[in-house]
Amino acid sequence: MKKIVLLITILLILSGCSAKSYDGEVNVLNWTSYIPQEVIRDFENEYNIKVNYGTYSSNEELLAKISSSSSGTYDLIFPSDYMIELMIERDMIEPLDKTKLNNIDNINSLFLKQKFDKTNKYSLPFLAATTTIVVNRKNIKDPITSYNDLLKEEYKNNIIILDDQRIVIGMALQANGYSMNETDKDKLDNAKKWLLKLNKNIKAFDSDSPKTFLITNEVDLGVIWNAEAIIAKEENESIEIIYPKDGFALSLDNYAIVKKAKNKDNAYKFIDYLLRDDVSKKITEEYPYINTNKNCQNVSTDELKYILDNATYVENIGSNISTYDKIWAEIK
Amino acid sequence: MKKKDFGFKTIFILPIVIYTLVLIVLPIIYVLFLSFCTSDSYGGINYQFTIDNYINIFDITYIKMFVKSALIALVTTFICLLISYPFALILRRKSESVKNLATKLIMVPFLTNSLIRTYGWIILLRKNGVINNVLTGAGLIEFPLNLMYNKVGIIIGMVYTLLPFMLLPVCSAVFELDKNVIEAAKDLGAKPLQIFKNIILPQTISGAFNGSLMVFIPSIGYFFIADILGGGKTMIIGNLIKNQFLTARNWPFGSAISIFLIIITFALVKVYKRLGGKIEDLGGL
Amino acid sequence: MKNRPINNLFIFLVFIFLYLPIIVLVVYSFNSSSMNILFENFTFKWYEEIFNNKELIESFLNTLMVAGISTVVSTILGTMAAYGLYKYNFPFKNLLNSLIYIPIVIPEIVLGISLLSIYTLMRLELGLHTIIISHIAFSIPFVIVSVRSALTRETITYEEAAKDLGASNFKIFKDIIIPIILPGIVSGATLAFTLSLDDVVISYFTAGPGSNTLPLYIYSMIKTGITPDVNALTTIMLLIVFIILTTIAIIQTRKIRKEAI
Repeated sequence: MKKIVLLITILLILSGCSAKSYDGEVNVLNWTSYIPQEVIRDFENEYNIKVNYGTYSSNEELLAKISSSSSGTYDLIFPSDYMIELMIERDMIEPLDKTKLNNIDNINSLFLKQKFDKTNKYSLPFLAATTTIVVNRKNIKDPITSYNDLLKEEYKNNIIILDDQRIVIGMALQANGYSMNETDKDKLDNAKKWLLKLNKNIKAFDSDSPKTFLITNEVDLGVIWNAEAIIAKEENESIEIIYPKDGFALSLDNYAIVKKAKNKDNAYKFIDYLLRDDVSKKITEEYPYINTNKNCQNVSTDELKYILDNATYVENIGSNISTYDKIWAEIK
Repeated sequence: MKKKDFGFKTIFILPIVIYTLVLIVLPIIYVLFLSFCTSDSYGGINYQFTIDNYINIFDITYIKMFVKSALIALVTTFICLLISYPFALILRRKSESVKNLATKLIMVPFLTNSLIRTYGWIILLRKNGVINNVLTGAGLIEFPLNLMYNKVGIIIGMVYTLLPFMLLPVCSAVFELDKNVIEAAKDLGAKPLQIFKNIILPQTISGAFNGSLMVFIPSIGYFFIADILGGGKTMIIGNLIKNQFLTARNWPFGSAISIFLIIITFALVKVYKRLGGKIEDLGGL
Repeated sequence: MKNRPINNLFIFLVFIFLYLPIIVLVVYSFNSSSMNILFENFTFKWYEEIFNNKELIESFLNTLMVAGISTVVSTILGTMAAYGLYKYNFPFKNLLNSLIYIPIVIPEIVLGISLLSIYTLMRLELGLHTIIISHIAFSIPFVIVSVRSALTRETITYEEAAKDLGASNFKIFKDIIIPIILPGIVSGATLAFTLSLDDVVISYFTAGPGSNTLPLYIYSMIKTGITPDVNALTTIMLLIVFIILTTIAIIQTRKIRKEAI
């Protein structure tokens, strides 16, 4: 018994030793696969501030984490467009003090003053993502231009799809020619029927790393985030990326500071660090989402114009979310 | 009672009373309370009495999911029973030290985390995983089998993770069987199946039910296995509760489902007691 | 059932099933490819890599700390409770006796969300401490069960004899009870430690920012693909477990032999 106590004491001391002393900390909550570990480590070394880094895979999960934790638990978060609107409405995020951000001018003005936060009082753009269709051309030769092309029977168990209810139900709505933010019961019912048809072809729902399914040849088709698609293409040349003609989702993820955050200054330091050209470049080299830093543009101007003209933001639909919830439960 | 003795008693009783009240009774009462509250669309809790959450459970969408989840749990339990009985009956005839070693070896995998072991199954089961590669390499199958991202994968994962909870109680029940009775039955010409049905099963039923409880109940809730080996395609009750708390943010509804599960659990424990099981034996690994 | 080879084969297959994923993890820890898909070349580099992965080390130490503290606390509280419940009578004892079993029987997820709710209600910030409290909460009943099974009628006889000889309560507990129930305490503590290391569900619900434990770290990686340094760490953990188990086995057989002589 004494030996066990001794052993545990030693372990405790060991774990104490491993903890380097920092000048402060910042509690960050971000999307999975969004910032490379190296970038965080560099920040910790450069500023001597410890980053407690947590992740989420959907805006809803983020919202739940913020509202169920006691205030002051998290400092910096990265909500998308409609979630920013909702969080402003619910008084969950702070107005940003832009004087603390030296690198603010690096932001491409195309991404500023969006309708969810018209004056950028509460948020500044970090990265943008679109949904795309991906096809492994080695195994699938049919022309694919629309979500409806994914319904073919021969694609049974061959599609990977994002595990995100707003995106997936939105896709089903667009496939039927509706808006992706539809709240009409009948139209949603049609979308549900469409999804039930597609369901047989879906191998798995995954938002965290759908690329793995394509790289490991688990599936030949998918509806996934653009950066995931680009990485998959880097690993497997026969993958083609397609913007569906029915429309697709654009998700603009933003920096936001949580109300009553305890480490605001450190959060600003971290934002300012991420706004730096060299850091920003490092991030999109590893996770090739659309960079909002004008000096690190990684998408051609034409493509960017095409995306901004044709993509749709997910919008806040208020209490209609419960209908979406139910459809989601029914599909799974 | 002497004063000193009273102090001694307090030291031994008070902590456990506080523990039970604060970490068992209070949380469950609070969840019960939450289950009668309403939630607004984006997650706030309104302290306004309603029984809608319980009515909601009986919506056809959720009933279907409960049935699916219960079926997965039942199949898991049944497979565990099918493995555990022969295992225990064979091991019964071995020496004491072999038995000891075997029961220890059953527990060892637990010392690595169950998520790591589930990950091991991904390496084994996926389309170009170890099992499919071996089978195609040996020419036994032409195309890789779909072993995961479906219900097969979930059941393999559940059986794997929970099998020890069945093996151990079944073993300890079977090891206690009276050898002479079985021998006598054999001498009287009873067939193995008869012996199993009329002698072995009745005497080990509480051990088997103990194991079944410890397999069935967790397999309703192990959302991570459904997530990882089921590819997020099959939701079990555990996923539904997790989503209500961590994604959909409808705590009252999630609480109602939890209370519903607690009631089912208590009912099963009651059946177990009827079968002659002792509550102290549950979870005694 | 006869002692046919096919029977032994069955036992063997069950163990293969139980150890298959672990064997695979161990084998792939020596694989030079980082993808855990095809075995390319033999390498030790992932074992070095462990020491470069700050997050992995941190989460591993956190896991050990959680398991260590929760084991010590729940073993002490559980042992005292088992003795108290066995020795004394008090109002509502039967009720308390059945309430204690709730964490053992209810689904872990229900325990997880109810603890989360209560922490939120108390405005307790989530972190390592909430994981520790939660692990203590579910370990105590298991310790009580183990210790209780070691408290037999015999214990009463010894206790009464000691009391007649004028020994104090504390002395009786320390010198008589503890040695008798020690096997129960040890197995209770082992169980608590094992359950804590194995737990995913409860930690998942009660963790906060910066409270990375091994299961949470692995959960965040599992879909993006786990790097083989995790396999390497698992291999080391298994190795340590086997060394400890073998040592215990050797000590035990020696003891038995000594007693036989």
